[in-house]
Amino acid sequence: MNDAANTDRWIRWLNTLQLVLAGVLIMAPTVWMVLSSFKPSFEVTAYPPTLIFSPTLDNYVELTKTTPFLSYALNSLIVTVGSTALGLLFGIPAAFAVSWTRISWPAILTLAARMAPGTLFLLPWYVMFRQVGMIGSYTALILSHAVITLPIVIWVLLPSFDGIPRSVFEAAQVDGCSVTRILWRIALPLVASGVAVSAILAFVFSWNYFLFALVLSNGDTKTLIAAAFNFIGEGSTQWGALMAAATLIALPPLVLAALVQRWLVSGLTLGAVKG
Amino acid sequence: MASISIRNLTKRYGNFTVIPDLNLEIADHEFVVFVGPSGCGKSTLLRIIAGLEPISSGDLYIGDKRVNGVQAAQRDIAMVFQDYALYPHMRVYDNMSFALELRGTPKAEIDARVKRAAALLHIEPYLDRKPKELSGGQRQRVAMGRAIVRNPKAFLFDEPLSNLDAKLRGQVRAEIKALSQELKTTMVFVTHDQIEAMTMADRIVVLQSGAIQQYDTPETVYERPANQFVAGFIGSPAMNFFPVEWRDERAILSHGATAVPLDSATAGRLRQAGNAVLGIRPEHFVVATDAADGIAINVKLVEPLGSDTLIHFDLAGVSAIARVDPSLRPKVGDRLSLRPQPGKTHLFDAANGQVLR
Repeated sequence: MNDAANTDRWIRWLNTLQLVLAGVLIMAPTVWMVLSSFKPSFEVTAYPPTLIFSPTLDNYVELTKTTPFLSYALNSLIVTVGSTALGLLFGIPAAFAVSWTRISWPAILTLAARMAPGTLFLLPWYVMFRQVGMIGSYTALILSHAVITLPIVIWVLLPSFDGIPRSVFEAAQVDGCSVTRILWRIALPLVASGVAVSAILAFVFSWNYFLFALVLSNGDTKTLIAAAFNFIGEGSTQWGALMAAATLIALPPLVLAALVQRWLVSGLTLGAVKG
Repeated sequence: MASISIRNLTKRYGNFTVIPDLNLEIADHEFVVFVGPSGCGKSTLLRIIAGLEPISSGDLYIGDKRVNGVQAAQRDIAMVFQDYALYPHMRVYDNMSFALELRGTPKAEIDARVKRAAALLHIEPYLDRKPKELSGGQRQRVAMGRAIVRNPKAFLFDEPLSNLDAKLRGQVRAEIKALSQELKTTMVFVTHDQIEAMTMADRIVVLQSGAIQQYDTPETVYERPANQFVAGFIGSPAMNFFPVEWRDERAILSHGATAVPLDSATAGRLRQAGNAVLGIRPEHFVVATDAADGIAINVKLVEPLGSDTLIHFDLAGVSAIARVDPSLRPKVGDRLSLRPQPGKTHLFDAANGQVLR
C-alpha cells in the first residue's frame, strides 16, 4: 500500500517535471522574443543578457515608422484568408468524397504533397506564374498557399465525416437527398466544429508560411513574415525591430489558438456523432 | 402504395454471391417479414429494395415501374433503420419534415402531416427536442414518424426493434402492427427474431444463404414447414429432430431401439421413405398416462416458465425439449412417458431436409 502511494507520487512528480521541461523548451524562445521587443535595441543582443531593463515601445515605433507594416499585415491577411477559403472550398467536398467513396488514395496524395518540402513546388510555380505574368500577385500567393491549407482541411475533416454513422446518410438518401445535398444539409452541420478547427489550423499554417511569399510576392504583396526577413541584413540587423515584428506576427495565431484551445483539442479528436 | 416484384435477382460482392436468383412477389398493402439467421441476405435484400445496394442481375419493380437503376431518393419509399439514423443536428420536427421539405410540400401541409404523425405515435411533446434528448423508444417512434409523414409507396424496416429492451420491443411490435393496419401500406420488415415475424407478418419470407426457404403465412410456416431449416428456425424452443427409420412395421428411432408412436399418415410416409428425420415441436408432446403408450424419458432439466414448463431430456442421442402443463411438476431424474400429438409430427428427407408429404 505504501509502495503504491510512493510510486504514484513519483509518477506525478515525473509528469510535472516533463510538463515543466516541455513548457520551458516551447515557451523560452517566445518569452525571449516578446521581452526583447520591449528592450532598447542595443540590449537585445547584449551578453550576458539583461534580465532587468526599462521597457520601451521604441522598437514598435521604429517598426511602424521605417516599414509599411500595416500594408504587409493586410497582405498577410488577404493571402491567409484567401488560401484558407480556397482550402475549405475544395477541402470540404474532397474530404466528404473520400469518406463517402472510401477511396483513400486522393487523401494520401494530398498528405504526401503537404509533407513534401515547399521548394519542390516553388520552382515549377515560379516558372508557371512568371509565364502567365502572375508573379507578385495575390492570386499566385493564394494559390500557392492552398498547398498548405487544402491537406489540413482534408485531414482534419476526414475522421469527422467518417465518424458520422453511414445510416444517417442512407436515411437522407431515402428521404430524397442527392449526395451534394447530403453534404450541405446533413454532413456539414454535423462536422461544424471540425470545419472551424480546420479553418483555424489552415489560417495559422498559411499565416506562418514563409517560403512561397519570399519568392512569389513583390514589394506590394509581400506578407509580414517575408517582410520581417528584410530586417536581417549583413552586419546591420535591426534586432529590436525584428523582435517587435516577430511578436506582432505571432500574435494572431496565438490569440486564435488561445481563444479556441478547448475546441481545437476536441475538434482534432472528433469523429463520433452520437445520436 | 405499391406492390414489389423481384425477378431473378442476383447480388454479388466480387466473386461472392449473397443472393442467387431470387424471385419474390409482395402484394400491395401486404406486411411481409424477411426472417433468417445472420448473413442470410435479408438486410441486403431490403437495402436493394431501398436502392441503397445495386443489383448484380435481375429486375426489381415497385408498382409497375422497373427501378433497377433508380436512385434511392427517387424510389418514394421510406425506411426505418436499426440505429434509427435520425439527423442528430435537427429537432424531432425537422427530422420528420425534412423529406417533405425536399419535395417542395407547402409549409401548412408539412405542419399538418408532421402533427398528425406525431399524434399517431404519441411524440407530440418531443417535437422541439433533439434526438440525443430522447430515450431509445422515443427515437424509435421518431424514426417511424419520419417514415409515415411521407405517405410513401412502401415502408421498409431494418431490424428496428433490436436495440430496444424486451418490454419495449413487445409494445412497439404491437404498435407497428396496429400502424400497418391503419396505414394500409406495403410494409417489408427485416428481423432475425422469429417471434416478431410470426406476430406481425401477413406473410413470412424465411431466408437462408440468400435463398427463399418458404414464403407463406405465419400459420402455414409454423404448421407446415417446407423443410427442416424452416421447421428448426420458426418456433421457440426449436423443433426437436430425431433420425428415424421404418423397421419391423414400426417407427424406430435410429441410434437405439426406441419405438415412436406415430399417426397412420406419418407412419405411411415413413414406411415409403424407409428412413427420415422426425420433427416434433416441444409443445406437441403430451405426457402419456399409460407408460406403454409413450416413449420413456429421464428428466434432465426443468425450466418453469409460469405459463408452462420446459422439460429437457435426451432421447436416442438427441438433446430434446418438451413443453408441458405447469401443473405437472417433474423433478430432475424423474421418469416420464411422452408421446407426440397425432397429426402434429413432421417428416423430413434425411438427405436434403425437404418435408415428406
